[in-house]
Amino acid sequence: MIVRALVAAFVKDVRLLVRDRVGLVFLTIAPLIVMSVAGFSLSTLFGGVPQPGAYVLPVVDEDDGRIAAELRERLTDDATIEVRTVPTREQALELVHSRESAAVLVIPAGTSAALARGSRASLRLLTDPVKFVELTNVRFLVEELRQAVGQHAIDLAQRRIDRVRARALAEERRLERRFARLRAALARTADRVHEVHADVARRVEVAGARLENTLREGLRRTEAERLGAARRRLERELAPLHEFVDALAAYRGTFESWLAGVREQAGRFADRIPPPPEPPALPAALEQLAHGDDDALASRILGAPGDVALPKLPLDLALPPLPEPPAVTALALPSLPDVRLPRLLDVVETSVSGAPSRLNSFDQYVPGFSITFLMLGMLIGVAMTLIDERELGTLDRVRATQAPVATLVLGKLTVRFLVGVLQMIALLGVGRAAFGVSLGPQPVALLLPTVGIVFVGTAFGVLVAGLAPTRDAVIPLGAIAIVTMCAVGGCWWPIDLEPRWMRGLARVLPTTWAMSGFKDLMMRHQTVTAALEPTLVLLLFGLAFLVVGLVAFRPSRV
Amino acid sequence: MSAAILCRDVVKVYRTRRALDGVSFEVAPGEIVALLGPNGAGKSTTLSIIATLLEQTSGHVEVAGHTLPAGARLARRSLGLVPQRAAVYPALTARENLAYFAPLQGLDHRAARAAIARVLALVGLESRADEPVAQYSGGMARRLNLACGILHGPRVVLLDEPTVGVDPQARERIYALERSLAAEGGAILHSTHLMEEAQRLCDRVILLDGGRVIASGTPTELVSRLGLRPVLTLHTERPLPAGWPGTGVRARATSATAERIVLQIDEVGLVPALLDRARADGGEILDVALHRPDLADVFFHLTGHELRDGDTGEDPTP
Repeated sequence: MIVRALVAAFVKDVRLLVRDRVGLVFLTIAPLIVMSVAGFSLSTLFGGVPQPGAYVLPVVDEDDGRIAAELRERLTDDATIEVRTVPTREQALELVHSRESAAVLVIPAGTSAALARGSRASLRLLTDPVKFVELTNVRFLVEELRQAVGQHAIDLAQRRIDRVRARALAEERRLERRFARLRAALARTADRVHEVHADVARRVEVAGARLENTLREGLRRTEAERLGAARRRLERELAPLHEFVDALAAYRGTFESWLAGVREQAGRFADRIPPPPEPPALPAALEQLAHGDDDALASRILGAPGDVALPKLPLDLALPPLPEPPAVTALALPSLPDVRLPRLLDVVETSVSGAPSRLNSFDQYVPGFSITFLMLGMLIGVAMTLIDERELGTLDRVRATQAPVATLVLGKLTVRFLVGVLQMIALLGVGRAAFGVSLGPQPVALLLPTVGIVFVGTAFGVLVAGLAPTRDAVIPLGAIAIVTMCAVGGCWWPIDLEPRWMRGLARVLPTTWAMSGFKDLMMRHQTVTAALEPTLVLLLFGLAFLVVGLVAFRPSRV
Repeated sequence: MSAAILCRDVVKVYRTRRALDGVSFEVAPGEIVALLGPNGAGKSTTLSIIATLLEQTSGHVEVAGHTLPAGARLARRSLGLVPQRAAVYPALTARENLAYFAPLQGLDHRAARAAIARVLALVGLESRADEPVAQYSGGMARRLNLACGILHGPRVVLLDEPTVGVDPQARERIYALERSLAAEGGAILHSTHLMEEAQRLCDRVILLDGGRVIASGTPTELVSRLGLRPVLTLHTERPLPAGWPGTGVRARATSATAERIVLQIDEVGLVPALLDRARADGGEILDVALHRPDLADVFFHLTGHELRDGDTGEDPTP
């Protein structure tokens, strides 16, 4: 019977819901419109100027140098961010994972030293991009720090350059003085060399002329003697040749005379006389030898006296010693200082929460407004209908039946719970299709926070029904509570926009946990395990609401 | 025959206010009993205790032989509650409303179908059974309200002012239904603050005031038990003489002016003779009124205030 009663209650509430068209519109279209408007209108919020508030920035100072000191110095008067020095990265990351901080600033070992050398150095910013606003504040801070450190390095480098420049200028002046002295010494040396050179040239010229005259006279005498002797000897040697040539010439005349006589005698037959054999001609050279001038012959054969080349004179001139060049002492140049242009400190940002660096504003608004309208829907669907049942008298009628009154309540809550789950699934689906929100690596895991917040919404409806004195009080009471919970819980804007105390307060609101679960899965791309804790907390919230609501609810008007 | 409803020395205290102060009565099967009293008299509290919606602070309550509150679960099998307002879902049709309540009353599917058809015919809503209740008139909604209460054929039917705001035609139909249920053996406890309704419909009347039963019995018994007599008011052409109507007549003047005289008479049968005498002594009778003693007079006699005096609209709940 209980099952039949439960089914009957279920079917009845489905019928009531289907016929409540305003309620259906409120469940679906209204949140879509609002989330669209908010998503488009407030998208700049994600890049807006951070609101003053207290944020915790864990700093891991592995460098133990002046950067951390600089950071502390810069933030002394800044109430926006509380710098908290943490010994290890692991401890600092705990603060990020527990959502207390949006980022951890790690100053790696050797950063200060690298900067001092002018080498490349980087700060590490380990972030949770989901906490965009807080992260923006941290980025501003780190950028200021980076600029300050860079400026400090530039100032240091400038001072070093100034010192080096002063030393270089002093060295330059010293060098110039030395060069002046050197140039004077060299000028003196050049003059001396010119003098020596002129003296040597003069001496060589005198010595050469003297030697040439002497040699030329000697050679002339020797040549004359040699030619006289050669002529005489040639005359003796050529005498027989003279005699033979003369005899030959006489014979040739005789033969010519004879031949002429022969031809004359031959008469008309003279042309038949063959020419006589031609005696060999006397070579011209022999002819010249035989009839030439003896002196000319002797000159031709032995050479004229003037053509005799003078032998190279073995001059051994002793030049005066050259003057010693001025001693040039080696310049003691200053060692080059190792001065480099300073580099700006780099900042390497790494997401440690799993969220991408760029987020879609609808990743915030789709779950946020889905939760808001889910809660409002539950307020109407549960709180008002429960009170309606009481006001109509149907609750009394049920209480007077054999079925436990729990069947009515359970049937109603079950329908509303399932409708809430479907509503959330539909809204997340539309958010995915229309606005490209991320559903994370495990979309099915979204069922966990969905079930949790729908249970909370359902139980909250019971709570309001229990606390609201009349039906008319449901909307003001419930709506105010829901608006507050959703606003403070980060459904309408990133929760890190809120001051720290409010974020602490928000931890006692179920909406905060629901958003945490959805953000972990959708924005931080975490797996189902990340949703376990928020879901458990939501279920506990829901259980508490349900118990208090059921206890407080007056089932009868009597 | 044992009582279908039995209340003995029932006390209900809301914080410091005693809503019921020793209420005792019983209702037998086949009997229609009116629980009559002004608002705040304790009618709704009494009905709620019998309907197992409230627990009495002290006293003994039985419904169909089951002692409350311990036997509430068993008693509910025999109970049919008809709340004052139409406790039905306006967005659902009459058939859907009945289909919802049927399994809650322990009816299986087949029995429910039969019961729904039966009660729809009984209340005359067959032709409109598939229309949303929101489209019903107030009377139709009240009839459906009644149908929901008797769907499972209860031996005890509790009706909490079922005719408030209902037109006369629908009211008559409801009366007929109650009589029909009583004729079938049902014990009907009908809460009302309308004296005429109790007098016309009910076999017995329990007069409640200030959380106490001030009288109970049939209307005639209650009137006669208190010796209440009919009142005749006359307006004659001339003033009647002093001491009129004189001795030897079973009537006496309770007030007299120059134009009007009020007489308390022993019985209604004396009226013609009195009219003749008045015409003889005072000329033409310009106006005459006869008032028979009723439950309102009983109530006034017993409490000193009118039945509607306490109708202050005060919420009886704490």
